[in-house]
Amino acid sequence: MSTAAIATIDHHHDPSTSTGIPNKKLLMWAFLASDCMFFGCLISTHLIYRLHPPPGTLPARQVFSIELTSFSTFILLMSSLMMALAVNAIQKGNLRSMRWSLLTTIFFGCIFLGCQVYEFRNFVYEKHLTITNSILGTTFFTLTGTHGLHVLIGVIWLSGMLIYSFTGRLSEKDAIDVEMMGLYWHFVDIVWIVIFTAVYLLEYI
Amino acid sequence: MSSPATAAAPDHGHDFEQSKFMFFVQIAMLLAVITGLELVTVYLPFMKWLLVSVLVVLSTVKFMFVIFYFMHLRWDKVFCTILFFIGLVLAGGTAWALLKLFGAEASKPLSAAMADPPAIVSRIA
Repeated sequence: MSTAAIATIDHHHDPSTSTGIPNKKLLMWAFLASDCMFFGCLISTHLIYRLHPPPGTLPARQVFSIELTSFSTFILLMSSLMMALAVNAIQKGNLRSMRWSLLTTIFFGCIFLGCQVYEFRNFVYEKHLTITNSILGTTFFTLTGTHGLHVLIGVIWLSGMLIYSFTGRLSEKDAIDVEMMGLYWHFVDIVWIVIFTAVYLLEYI
Repeated sequence: MSSPATAAAPDHGHDFEQSKFMFFVQIAMLLAVITGLELVTVYLPFMKWLLVSVLVVLSTVKFMFVIFYFMHLRWDKVFCTILFFIGLVLAGGTAWALLKLFGAEASKPLSAAMADPPAIVSRIA
């Protein structure tokens, strides 16, 4: 990509729209704002019912594994870094760098999902906390499961974009598509920042 | 609100790209350190309200770093920030109202409440 081409594209301003913001980006921010309300309700429902463990089982503090959750948090933060680098790379027209960054983000996303599957299995089979045997189980699995579903959708989206980049139809002009995907992925990360504190760390105080 | 950094990008070329790369890496390291601090905080022998406040502040700092730097709100038009914060404020307000109306202690199961009755209940009994 030539230097002249880089100079002509302003990725933060679109003069063809009345707001000056690319329509796709505006749509994504509106969606994320609505998703905030969705997760806000799920998190507060869990906080209200967190004192309802299954009868005769351990309290949530002894059920949770802070080591595993901290590792997952670190992995998701690093995936956010790689996503930011992928967006930066495509904005500079560096397709090769973007592909490596996307691949790493997908890899970290898969590790996070693997940790979540392991955690769920451990809770159900070892700690006897299921989605149906208590209100705590219902709110916990609904909240973290919904977040996990968002991560899964993100991984599928990232993989699709990675494959699409090999068709030769993705260039610096399409940076907005990668940026939109990046916004979604970072949102998944910020939701986890809140869940990590409100659901996990709070139980240890 | 096009940023000076964005406008200056072509002039700095490789150096600018390298500095932005390092900038994102530094932000990520900072986020990792804050996560470590959060972990240490929960084991400190201080009052619960103080620990909860520290955790809320640390999480908010992480949240803001991600939305303003990784999500580029710092360099985007201010309308994007307003749009997102409308959703955030509505979500926060809903959560605050729900927690005020149905606090965790108030919704404690009856069996657990009887096992650990408040002082007034003990006196009546």
